[in-house]
Amino acid sequence: MPHVEVLPNSAAHIAPGWTYVVDTGYDPSKVALNPKNKKRAAAQPRVPRGENELSSRQQLAIARRIAELNRDNDPSKSIEIPGKAAVPKTQNARRIIQYQRQIKHWLDDEEAQLAQLQQAPQPRAAAAASRLATAPSRRSSTMALIPPTASEATTPGPALPAPAPAPPKPRNERDDERLLSIDASMPSSVNPAELQALLSAPPLSYAASHASLPPVDGPPRRHFCDNCGYWGKIKCMKCGAKVCGLECKDAHEATRCLKWA
Amino acid sequence: MPPKGSKKASAAAPSQTLVLDNGAYTLKAGLVSANGAELSYDDCAVIPNCIARSTRDKRTYVASELEHCKDFGELAFRRPVEKGFIVNWEAEKAIWEHEFMGAGEGLRCDPSDTNLLLTEKPNCPKELQKNCDEIVFEQFEFAAYYRCIGPALNAYHPFSASSLFSLPQECLLIIDTSYSDTTILPIYNGTLLQTASRRLTVGGKLLTNYLKELSSLRHYNMMEETYLLNEIKEAVSFVVPSAQQFATDLERTWKGRQGDKRELDSSIVVDYVLPDYERAIHGHARPHDPAQLRMRRGLQPLQGPREDLLPLGNERFAVPELLFNPADIGIQESGLSGAIMEALSVLPDALKMGMLANVVVVGGNSLIAGFMERLETDLRALVPAQYLLNVSRADDPIKHTWLGAARFASQPERLRDVLVTKAEYDERGSTWLGKKFTTM
Repeated sequence: MPHVEVLPNSAAHIAPGWTYVVDTGYDPSKVALNPKNKKRAAAQPRVPRGENELSSRQQLAIARRIAELNRDNDPSKSIEIPGKAAVPKTQNARRIIQYQRQIKHWLDDEEAQLAQLQQAPQPRAAAAASRLATAPSRRSSTMALIPPTASEATTPGPALPAPAPAPPKPRNERDDERLLSIDASMPSSVNPAELQALLSAPPLSYAASHASLPPVDGPPRRHFCDNCGYWGKIKCMKCGAKVCGLECKDAHEATRCLKWA
Repeated sequence: MPPKGSKKASAAAPSQTLVLDNGAYTLKAGLVSANGAELSYDDCAVIPNCIARSTRDKRTYVASELEHCKDFGELAFRRPVEKGFIVNWEAEKAIWEHEFMGAGEGLRCDPSDTNLLLTEKPNCPKELQKNCDEIVFEQFEFAAYYRCIGPALNAYHPFSASSLFSLPQECLLIIDTSYSDTTILPIYNGTLLQTASRRLTVGGKLLTNYLKELSSLRHYNMMEETYLLNEIKEAVSFVVPSAQQFATDLERTWKGRQGDKRELDSSIVVDYVLPDYERAIHGHARPHDPAQLRMRRGLQPLQGPREDLLPLGNERFAVPELLFNPADIGIQESGLSGAIMEALSVLPDALKMGMLANVVVVGGNSLIAGFMERLETDLRALVPAQYLLNVSRADDPIKHTWLGAARFASQPERLRDVLVTKAEYDERGSTWLGKKFTTM
C-alpha cells in the first residue's frame, strides 16, 4: 500500500473540507453518508417495518405530544401570588412552601427510591409482606374464565350422544333443573384469608397503578387524518402520518409534517 | 408531661370538621358538625383551585375571585394540584387562606378549633403525603386531622334514600373520571382494595388540551384560551353510543374530497359563537350555517353583526372518545371498560360479582352527554352474561365524593377513631403519621 504523507511547508494552506486519506477500498460506514438513490431511500427503509409499527421519531413525537396534552402548569409562565405572604411558622413549613418542583420530579423520586429499596436486602417481615401483596396480582384470571358450572363438572362429555361436532355443553335430562337453579352461577364465597390480604395490601406506587397496555389481540389502532380528523387513509411518504386526501396532504405538509421536525 | 388520657380529653373538643375534597380543578369544601344533621349537596361549596392571571386587565384572581372575572381571554392559570396531588404548597396555602381563614364572608373557620378531613387521590407519592401532613399541622395548626382516599368515602352514602343505615356499603366500584385522570377503585366495606385500583391517563384536562390543539390546528390559534376551550368542551362534546355510530358520524362531518365537496350535516356540526368579551363573556353554540363560513372566507359579502365562529364537527365526539379509545392518539392503554375488567381480574369471583352490581361513576367527565350509555354498553359486552351489571351516575358527580366524606364526618364515633390530634403529631412526628394513615 502506498504511503501518502503531506509535509507541511510554508506555501501549503490546510484547506478545510478535504484531506488526503488512505484508500482502503470499500467501507460500508461511508456508504450511508452519501447514498446514491436519495429519493428512494426514504420510501424504502432498510429494515422493512410492519404496517402498524412506528419509527422511533414518531414514537418520540407521540410521547412528547401526550406529555404536552397532560401537562398541568406551563413552566414558562410564572404567576405571582398577590398580597404579602405570611411568614411560615416553622422551618419545615418554610422548606415545603418554597419547593418549586413539579409532579414529575416527585414521581421520579418515588421511582428512584423504589429501585433503591429493591436493590437493598429486605428485612424478612417486609419481604413477606411484599410477597403477600404481589400474590393476588400474579393470578391472571380473566372474566372469561368462569368456574365450571356443576353440570360441566359432573357429566362426562364423550359418554353422551353429541349432535354437533364437539358441543361446548353436553346436555343431560337433569340439565334443565340445574339451569333453573342459581347455585351454579353463584361464585364460591370469598376465602377470608384472601380477603384479608386484599384489604391490607399496601398501596401500589404511582407507576404501578397505571392501566396496562391494550390487549395484543384487540382491535387494531384506528388511524385518523392528521389534518381534519376523518379516517386516515393515505400515509405521508415523508413522515408516516396519515391523511385523508390530497387537500389535507397539502395542509399537512405545510404545517405538521415531521420530516424536518 | 401530662398523662395521655388527659391530653385526649382536652383535644377532643372541636365539634366542627372542615371536609375538603381538594381536587385539581375545584375544591369541594364545607363545614360539618357532628350533630348528625341531614346533609345535602347544598352544604358543599365548589371553588376553583387555581390562581389566574389576566394579561389584559393585569389582575390576579385567587380561587373564588374568578367569578368576578369579566375577560377570560388569554387567562393563564396556576394550579397547585398536579395529577391530583398537592404539589405547590405556596399556591395552595394562599388559596386555603383566602377561602377558609381570616376575616371575610362565606366559609370561615379557625383551624385551631376545627378538625380537617382532607381527601386525596390514590397512589400518592409518600413524600408528598408527608409534606401535606406537615403543612396541615405546622403551618395551619388544625386541631385534628384525617387524610384518606376520597372516593373510598363514597361507601358511606346510604344505599337507598330511605335507609338510615350508617354502615358502609359492602361492595362498591367507583369510577372517578376527573380533571387529572380517570381512576377505577374497587371498595370493600369502605376500604380501597389497593392491588385492584387502576388509573387511566385521560382526564378532563387532557380532553380540553386536545380540543385546544385541534381547534388551533384547524381554525384559529387558541393555544392560550384554556378557559374558553374548556367551556366549549363542556357545551358541545358528546360520546357516541358505539363504534359503528362513530364511523357514521365521522362520515357525516366529513368535508369530502377535492372536487367532490359534501354538505356538512348540520345536526352534528355546530358553529360556536366565540365571546368577544365586550358584549358577551360567554359564547354559545348554534347549528352550522355554511353561508357564514363562506362569508368569513370572503366568498360572500358580510351581512349581519360581526362575529367570530368556530365550526365544530368531528371534534365534538372524537375528543371525549379518548376516554374509551385512548389509542386513538397513541396512548398505550386499553379504554375505560377494558381497564375496569383488568382491575377486577385480580379479585375473587364473588367480589367481582358484587362490584359489578354496584358501579357508581363520579367526576366531571361523566357529565358529557352519552358517557353513561357508552360505558354501560361497552362494559356489558365484556362482563359475562350471568353477572348482574348495574352502572349509575351519582346525582351530582362533582360533589358526590364530598358528600360521602361529609356523611363520614358527621358520625362522631367513626371520626373519633381516625382523627389524629395536633398533640399526637407533635409527640410522634410525620413519619409515624404517614404510617398510621396508610395502615388505617
